[in-house]
Amino acid sequence: MARITYITPDGQQVVVEASSGSLMTAAVQNQVDGIEGACGGVCSCATCHIHIDAAWMDRVGPAGDAEAAMLELEDGSTSASRLGCQVPIRPELDGLTVRVVGR
Amino acid sequence: MRAEGQEMPLVLRLQDVRKVCKDWKTFSSDDPFMIVPHSEANVRSVRQYPIETDPPDHTDYRALVEPFFRRPNDADYQLGMQQLVDEALAAAAIPDSVDVVSELALPLQSRSLARLLNVDDSEANLWISWGTHVFKEGDGVSKGAELSSYIREKFEAAEGSEAHDFFSVLNRADFQGRKLTLEEKHGFANMAFAGGRDTVIHTVSSIIAHFAAHPEGLDFLRQDPARIITATEEFVRYVSPLTAIVRSCPHSAKVLDAEIAPGGRVGLCWPSANRDETAFTKPDEVVLDRSINPHVGFGFGIHKCLGAAQARLIIRSLLQALCNQIEAIHLIEAIPEIEQESSFERQVGFKRLRTSFKLRSSQHF
Repeated sequence: MARITYITPDGQQVVVEASSGSLMTAAVQNQVDGIEGACGGVCSCATCHIHIDAAWMDRVGPAGDAEAAMLELEDGSTSASRLGCQVPIRPELDGLTVRVVGR
Repeated sequence: MRAEGQEMPLVLRLQDVRKVCKDWKTFSSDDPFMIVPHSEANVRSVRQYPIETDPPDHTDYRALVEPFFRRPNDADYQLGMQQLVDEALAAAAIPDSVDVVSELALPLQSRSLARLLNVDDSEANLWISWGTHVFKEGDGVSKGAELSSYIREKFEAAEGSEAHDFFSVLNRADFQGRKLTLEEKHGFANMAFAGGRDTVIHTVSSIIAHFAAHPEGLDFLRQDPARIITATEEFVRYVSPLTAIVRSCPHSAKVLDAEIAPGGRVGLCWPSANRDETAFTKPDEVVLDRSINPHVGFGFGIHKCLGAAQARLIIRSLLQALCNQIEAIHLIEAIPEIEQESSFERQVGFKRLRTSFKLRSSQHF
């Protein structure tokens, strides 16, 4: 089980508990504003763009090649960017805070 | 490729296509009738909205219709779509032989569009009679005038209406402090009717053809419901029914090694990008559980397909219905639809796909 805090584009905090899936599916299941997950999690739509708190980047890990190529051209992309669909929920992410980039 | 009397470079690689999509100032969409390689000036009379515009107008135009195109995200809408697809497939499975293009894919596309536009289901009967291509008959004869007359009549009939259908809502819409002109509304409707028509029909037909050739595929999907999602994206990638969308360059530009003169055009080749072997393993195979699938089957950037949610829902519902209802598909006759251009030809779907369906003895999985 991991407790994740999403900060939506309009500044609201949504706290979600999840034990499986990804940062995208956990957000969609809890209707976190700004995360759509249109493609279902195959790294095609980038509607789950998030920024990871700097202190957590090592634990979350870097983007893969396909994801990095998507993020290279996304608005609001920074070194903290990840696509939520490519970050599996796992116990060591308990306490993570992410900012939803939205559109 | 050669189009409109010019040699037009086609951008082929995935990331190159994305980069051109992103740079809308250099590669503009503000060029009416020219969004596809060959001008559509002879088959339609209005600019299509929002696709044939650039920001900032494009942003405001698109916002007017986005609520309609988000309707497939609603749970009740999804249930209704599954019921529609279930019934369409069940009806198609009754006869000994059915043309999937005209008797399954086309009615499915039209009836689902009626739901998307929030108009009465009976409207779809006329749309079905228009056939796969809304602008041209198979021999290239224009029939765009019939669509134009229909659209203008619908906006006129909806004048003063407080209803929530596509025509009434656009009649009431405010754009940058004014009402839309009839030409603008016509351009929105033109896009709604033409945009996702042959593409959805070809994708549905191609999916049926795939499972006729690979009967084990349905069993594979039945083993894990999550594969409905991955298979949907994979069919969008693999079929890529739209060959190219074109951008125009108001100023001189460069794409890879190609110099573009002011007024020149560049084609974005979606199926090529979607088979880029540097981005996709086994690019020429259908991999139903492809988990990383960064395709551009719905485009990329500000002009990404407005109807993507609808198309995804149709395909997901179709795959679910096939898994529930169908044991096997027997191919009787397949006549491919081939696009021929100066530098390539490719199959985009089927003109006719005659099959018979064998129902499962025990439905639902």
